[in-house]
Formats: sequence, C-alpha cells, structure tokens
Amino acid sequence: MRIGTARSSYRHDEALFDSRTQYAWLAILGVALLGFPFVADEYWLYLACLVAINIASATGLNILTGYTGLVSLGQAAFMGIGAYTVAAFEQKFGTPVLLNLLAGGFVAMLGGLVVGLPSLRVKGLYLAISTIAASVVLHFVFANWHSVTGGHSGITVAPAEILGISFDTSFRLYWLFVPITIMMVIGAANLFRTRIGRAFIAIRDRDISAEVLGIPLLRYKLLSFGLSSFYAGVAGGMWAYFFRVVTPESFPLLMSIFFLAAIIVGGMGTILGAILGAIFMTMVPEALKLIVGWLPLSTDATLILSPVRTIVFGALIVGFLVFEPLGLQEIWRRIRRFFHLWPFRA
Amino acid sequence: MDFDWLFLVEIFLAGLGAGGLYALTALAFVLIYKATRVVNLAIGEMLMIGAYLCFGLATAMNLPMWLAIVVAVIASGMAGAVLERVAIRPMLGESPIAVFMVTVGLASILVGVVELVWTSEPRRLPEFMPNTPVMIGEAFVPPKVFYGFLVAAALIAVALTVFRFWRGGVALRATASDQQTAYSMGINVPRVFSLSWTVAAMIAAIAGVIVGAVGGISSTMGVFGLSVLVVVIVGGLDSVLGALVAGLFIGVVESLAGGYLGGEYKLLATFLILIVVLMVRPYGLFGTHEIERL
Amino acid sequence: MRRTVLKSLLATAVMAATATMAGLPAAYAADKEIVIGGSIPMSGVFAFAGIGIHAGIQDYVRMVNDAGGVEGYRLRYVPEDSAYAVDQSVAAFKKITSQNKVNFYYGDSTAFSKTINPELERAGSMIMSGASFATELNDPEKFPFQFIAGPDYTQQFGILLRYIADEKPGARVAFVYSDTEFGRDPIASSREVAQSLGLEVAIEIMTPPGAVDVSTEMARLRRARADYTIFHGYILGPIPEFISQARQLRLDTQFMGTFWTMDNSTVMQMGELADGFMGVMPYSYYYDDSTSAPMLDKIREMRPEYQSVPYIQGFLSAMLYAETARRTIAAGQEMTAVNLKTALNSIENFDTGGLIGVPITISGNTIPVGRIYRADIQAKRMVPASDWIVLE
Repeated sequence: MRIGTARSSYRHDEALFDSRTQYAWLAILGVALLGFPFVADEYWLYLACLVAINIASATGLNILTGYTGLVSLGQAAFMGIGAYTVAAFEQKFGTPVLLNLLAGGFVAMLGGLVVGLPSLRVKGLYLAISTIAASVVLHFVFANWHSVTGGHSGITVAPAEILGISFDTSFRLYWLFVPITIMMVIGAANLFRTRIGRAFIAIRDRDISAEVLGIPLLRYKLLSFGLSSFYAGVAGGMWAYFFRVVTPESFPLLMSIFFLAAIIVGGMGTILGAILGAIFMTMVPEALKLIVGWLPLSTDATLILSPVRTIVFGALIVGFLVFEPLGLQEIWRRIRRFFHLWPFRA
Repeated sequence: MDFDWLFLVEIFLAGLGAGGLYALTALAFVLIYKATRVVNLAIGEMLMIGAYLCFGLATAMNLPMWLAIVVAVIASGMAGAVLERVAIRPMLGESPIAVFMVTVGLASILVGVVELVWTSEPRRLPEFMPNTPVMIGEAFVPPKVFYGFLVAAALIAVALTVFRFWRGGVALRATASDQQTAYSMGINVPRVFSLSWTVAAMIAAIAGVIVGAVGGISSTMGVFGLSVLVVVIVGGLDSVLGALVAGLFIGVVESLAGGYLGGEYKLLATFLILIVVLMVRPYGLFGTHEIERL
Repeated sequence: MRRTVLKSLLATAVMAATATMAGLPAAYAADKEIVIGGSIPMSGVFAFAGIGIHAGIQDYVRMVNDAGGVEGYRLRYVPEDSAYAVDQSVAAFKKITSQNKVNFYYGDSTAFSKTINPELERAGSMIMSGASFATELNDPEKFPFQFIAGPDYTQQFGILLRYIADEKPGARVAFVYSDTEFGRDPIASSREVAQSLGLEVAIEIMTPPGAVDVSTEMARLRRARADYTIFHGYILGPIPEFISQARQLRLDTQFMGTFWTMDNSTVMQMGELADGFMGVMPYSYYYDDSTSAPMLDKIREMRPEYQSVPYIQGFLSAMLYAETARRTIAAGQEMTAVNLKTALNSIENFDTGGLIGVPITISGNTIPVGRIYRADIQAKRMVPASDWIVLE
C-alpha cells in the first residue's frame, strides 16, 4: 500500500507529478523511450512514429472536445492544412524543418479560428456539423487550388533535413517526432494549470455560467479552436514528413472520426486519455491482423479482416460510450488504485 | 449563343427527383429526432442496410422483387427497433453528443456487417421500375428518377396522414413536444422511442431501395446521408415541413451546381448553404428556436 | 471491482504477448532465394482486385518453384493485407522489408507508390510495381525503381483514341470521369493526345464520388453529341445508369471503359446494358483461345474456373519479376535496384506465353500495349474488336 502523499503547499498541490514513485516511473518510461529505437525493427519504429503523430493530434482534439466541450469533426482537415503548408514550404522555399512545422501549426490555427467563428452562435451538434462543412470546403480547396496544392496528385515532400542529417528512416524520424510530441503533451498538461485552461473547463461544464463569471466566451472558444488546430497542424506537418506525399484524399472525414473515437476510447478531458486512446486505436488494426492470422480459419481469413476491423472500430466507440464513458484512462486508474491499496482492499 | 432553356428545365427536374429522395430520408431522420432527440448520423447506413437486404432476398433467395422489397422493409424495421433497444436506449439521459457518437459507431458497424456478408464489391439491384422514358413537355426525365419521386411523394403523404390521425402518431407528437408531460399522461414513452426507430428504419429502407435502383448499391452508399444531414439542418431538425422543403431545395441546388459548374461543385454548394444557414438561422428555416436558460 | 481489474490485466498481458511475438523477426537462412513482398488489398474497397492479384502471384511463384526455380534460386512470396489504406500498406511494407530481404515489391495504390519510391532509392535493393496505372508513375527520372505491368492510364486512353481515330476520323469524344485522383489522372494529357489524332473532345464531365443520380450529367452529355464516350475512374459505379438513360434517349454514342471496369464479371454485372460496351484491356482474358497461349493453358489447368483480369495482372507481374531476376543472375550481377531495373528495361520482344498477345518491350516504366474488346452478352464474354495496339 502506498501512503504519504500529504501536500504541504499549494505549489505541491498544483504540481503535474506529486510523488517520488511517479518520478521513478517517469524515469523508467524515459529510458524505455530512449532505448526503444535500438531494439525495435523498422516496423515497430514505423508504428511508434505513427502513434506519436496520432497522439499529438488527439491531444489537440482533446483540448477542444474533451476540455472545452466543443465537438469537432474537422481534425483531419486541419491536419491537412498543416501537411499542405509544410509540403508547400518545403517545396517552394526549402525553409528549415522546425520552422515549417511551426508554420504548419500556425496556418492550421488560422483555419481553426475561421472555422471556430460560428461557435458563438451555434454549439453542440450544430457545431460538429459545421466542422463537417469546413472539411468539405477544405477538401475542395486542396483538390482544386492547383498552384499551391498540386491538385489531385498532391505534393511530394522531400525528407526532413536538420543540420545535414536527412530524416528518411523511421529510426531517425522517431528522434524528431517523439520529442515534439512529448513537448506538445507537456504543453497541453500545463495549459490546464493556467487561467486559460481552467476557463476552457468552465466553458465545457456550463458556458453560460462561465460567461457570468467573467470569461469572454467568444475569445476563449476561438482560442480553444486555435490551439486545437495548431496541434493538428503540427501533427499534419509530421504526417507530411512521414508519408512524404500529401494528397486531398489523405485526410478523409473518416480520419476525423478516428481521432474523436480515440479520445472517447481513451477518456475525454484527460491528458492520459488522449495518449492511451491514440495508442490503442492505432494498434487495434495491427493487433487484429495478428489475431485473425492466428485463428484456426481457412487460409483466406484475411478476406474478412477489413469488415471485421470496421465493425470493431464501431463497436469500440459504442461499447466505450455505453459501458465505460470515462474510457481507458479510467480502467488504468482502477488498476493503479488496485495496486496502491493492495493488499488491504481489492 | 441562345440560353438553353430546355437544359435548365431538365436539370431542375432532375434536381427535384433527387430532392424527393432527400426529403424522404430527411423525414426518417426528423422522425427519430422529434421522438428521441437523437441526431442520427447512421441514417445513410440504414438506407444501405435496407437496400442490401432487398438485394440479398432478391438474388440469394430468389424472391420476386416486390416481395423482396416488402420483406426487406419489415426486416429493416425490426433492425431499427433492435438498434434502438441495444445501443440508443442505454444512452438515455447522456449528453446529446455522446449519443451522436454512438450513431457514428453504429454507422461503422453497419458498413462492416454489409462488407462481411456481401463483400465491398459494388452491386446492382434487379431492375423493377418501368423502363420507358418519361417526357414532361419536351424535357426528358429518367424513368427511375420520375417513379422514385412519385413513390417518395406518396410515402411522405401517407406518413404525414398517419401521424396526424393514428393513435401512435399522436403519441409520437405528444412525446416530441413534451416528454415528461407525455409520460404523465400515460403515454408509453419507451414504446414511442421504439416505434419511431422502427418506422424511420422502414422509411429509410424504402429510400435505400430507390437510391439503390438508381445508382447501384455499395458499402459506401452511406455518404448519401451527408447530404441528408445538410437537408435537415437547413430545414430545421424538428420540422417535417422543413425536411420536405429543404430536401427539394438542396436537390435542385446540387443539380444546378453540377449542371452549370461541374460535378466537383455539388457537395461544395450544399455545404456552403449549410454554413450560411448555420450563421444566419442556426435552428434552420422551419425549426423551433430554443431559448437557453441557466 | 476485482473482476474488472483482472480482466484488464489479462487484456494487457495479451496485448504485450502479441507485441513480443510480432517483434521477433522470422528466422530464415536460405540465401538462394528471391523474395517478392506485397501490400495486397485483400480486404477493403479494392478487395475484388486484391484477391485476384494475390492468387495470380501465388500461382506463378508455385509454378516456377515446382519447375526448379529461377537459375537455382527459389521464389518466395510474402504478402500482407493492406485494406487499401496507405498507412496500413506502408506498415505492411515496413514489416515485410524489415523481416525479409526483399527484391521485388507489389504495391496497392498510387499514393503508396509515391510514398515508397524514396524508400526504394534509399534501400537500393528492390524494385516495385503494383495495382496503380497512374500516368505520374511513368517517369523513370522521378520514379527510377517503379514499373507498371501494362500501359498507364494515359496510354490506355491513347489506345482507345487510336482505335477511334482509325474507325471514325475526326470523331467527337466525351470523357466522363470521377472526381478522384484515379479519375482525373489521364484527362488533361489525353486531351492533347486526342487533338494530335485529329479527334475533337466534345465535353469533359466530372462526377462527384458516390454520385447517385446522373441525370444532370446525362443532360450535359446528351448535348455534347459525342460519337464515343470514355468512362474512367470507376469500377462500375454510375456507368450502367448512364448507359440506361442513353438507351432511353436513343443516344447514338459508343460507350467505352478502361482497365478496372473491363473485367468480365464487372461488365457482365450490367446485364442487358453491357451489350456492345467496349474498352481497352492490356491482357488476354482467361478464356481467350484464339491463338496458342501456353501460359493461359497452364492457368486454366491450375484453375478450371474463370480468373479475373487482376489475376492475370498479378501473374504477369510475378513473371516479369522472375524474368528480371533471371537476367540479373545470368549476367552475374548482384540483385541491386539499379541492376534489376536495367535488367527489366533490357526486356525486349519478350514472349509472355499469350498473357499479352504480342511480344512486349518495356520502354520506360510501362508496357504500352493493349487491345480493344467488345462485350458479347449472349456468350457472356469480352470478344476482341481490334488487333493488339502498340503505342510507340
């Protein structure tokens, strides 16, 4: 049983991590992340990079949907803005990688601010549907603004290059993506210790009350949209460096649903939730592939793989909403508590 | 060059034809929304299930087409009731957004089931509509579109009459206007929920069969639901009249955009209208304007 | 409470075990082997093609190995389902290439090819082909290690247009295509080809993906009074509805399609409407017995039932992989990407055993050959309507 986390100061109470045990686990996690690329093969590194990108984007969506309570089905389109910005900068100006990623984030942020404008007048489902409208309009722009986006065939992106090192393998990209994602996650975690973050939560819980308390709704809702799209934009930029080709068909509506599903499954409104959800949803198709491969079915078992995957995807969304609305992070918390209280209570 | 009036008329009529199907599907949507306050994103997939059931019955079991349609519609109704009971009822009292996401999940499950049973290969429904061209004046209207429109119009008329005079219809309208009062007046509200999903699924199935007869069926035909979503928002989520007017309106706009600007402008045009409506009249043209209180 | 915890623990354990198992590279030692990897769309929207391609490659590999392999090397085929999604195709590629020494790779889409080509240049040990016939890939400068086992989409249009120009000089043609990368691919370039052949492009109609009703498009098409209408960017989609309305209007236009529409079963799904439908096909159909075709005989022997054209495409791809490997080994060279591609491009007047009715030459990244077929709904077969057309 773990005891003795008595808090003796406000600073301690507000700290992200409050006990030695947590720091110890964090250190282990850090070592694991550092060591992982040296033991994993290209396939696992590929998945690790993909997970990093998805965590960044899911965390962004979580700021908007989980913390501010504004549902968006436009996350993939914002990633598209980021990806196209990075691709265009890389192709037309050849500017440094980190600058491109930042630019991707900022352009996506501008897009987010515009799309967020209706959020003062409409909310809830109407807002969700207006973000679908935004995705349709953006898809049209991607497909038809030939001089910048290259139309339907899209833009091919050169590998990221920093100080003469070309980031062209998953091994190298890992060292670029994972630190960026970690910084973004820590940034999000800290956001909710500030006035802004708390304002978001107040808006989510009851926006009219928040307004009465002196929180300017439009400004904070737009800020939330902007931040969320910034995250999406950077994630989209990483996506562009990762897949190296950006086309209008790269960011379908289904991808937006994927991110929403990830934060639902992981647990809305918690940092850990977005992380767990993104990891889980990214790994499910690969895990299913293995499981279907093991099943004692005929050799053509793979033929049912895609429909099964689609069903599982839907069933996860429905199942978590019905049976575990707080998501994976709640399960995780329960496991942790079990060990904290062991052996006195189970 | 002279303006081609005939072209405009033909395009307009084609738009009305498509609009009739939008209106029919939107009716199913509004029915569910009025009774249960659920925004059902799976409406396109319910269309698809209806069409595939009909296809399966007509080809695998060799039923005559009319029988296949009848059985498919009944089966879809039962499927609708089951969906409501299993996935929607437990969400009673949850935030509308959570319920909305449940329907997104349901849509994915339905697509998966169709692909599992019938594979993702596109199929064609057996021909069952008259094949002789229809001329209105000098304008050519494709027969499927014409008869599809007639069926949709007839069905909408029947549905409206039923909800005006039948007991169940009255119960449904009562529940829609005030759930708690309806409950206390002895209306079995859960049964109304179940009823609304059943009837909506049946209407959707008929719409699905017509859509499938016109454009073929595939596991991606659920995207039809996206345009329907625009229709109901523009019309107002809880307005039957709105669904009908907006359905025809969106159909005509899509058709005009496709005819004069090109196919890629169809979706763009409808969604731009959606954005404008959301900015100007967020509760739709005919919807109820709800006032929020603290 | 306890049950939930235990369940979660169990789930975690299973996940961890799964992870470990998958991480272990497959143990193998055989160094005298040629590995063909593949991200094959065996499920998902493109499954009908993937299943055929898979069977085709598998059959050819088995056939060659039964006959003793290629210059003493055995062929080994390592496929993985891609579900026709880019991230999963790339995941499959990473998995297969990190666990095997791959020489040839079969990819499932244009986007996949464009993503993977830089990898090929870096790895320098393999070349790829795939299910995409995108015009863009037919550029040896930009995609040096890519090839297409057939004509690219522009060349398919070129073959159709050449046929039209011969049949009816100065004819008016209409292009009807879907608003996708696949649909838009050959349109701009084919406009020029049509002009140079003296044909007039009467109208270009783009249909939105998932379009249900085509009445609007039909109203435009009718006014274009085209002698020939070429569909591209569809499997089947709105084509039957176009034809049906055209029949009702007694429109006098000849409808035509490109590769992915032209499988026998796809065309015959149109029923009555298929009658007289024409299109370009780079390969011989399974049942073609007009000339002696030893390879088709073998296929019919192995599989007595009809095999789709994607099957033939997969089979031919594997044949070209094997021939490329044979030439590289015979020249005493190492199997590097550069040597393989050089060997591939040295293929001249090569006899495919009847899969393609004329000897083929791989110029650049494609095989610019094809033939026009016409649907005969009585026989439920596609019958040749022209001789083999070779573009230069």
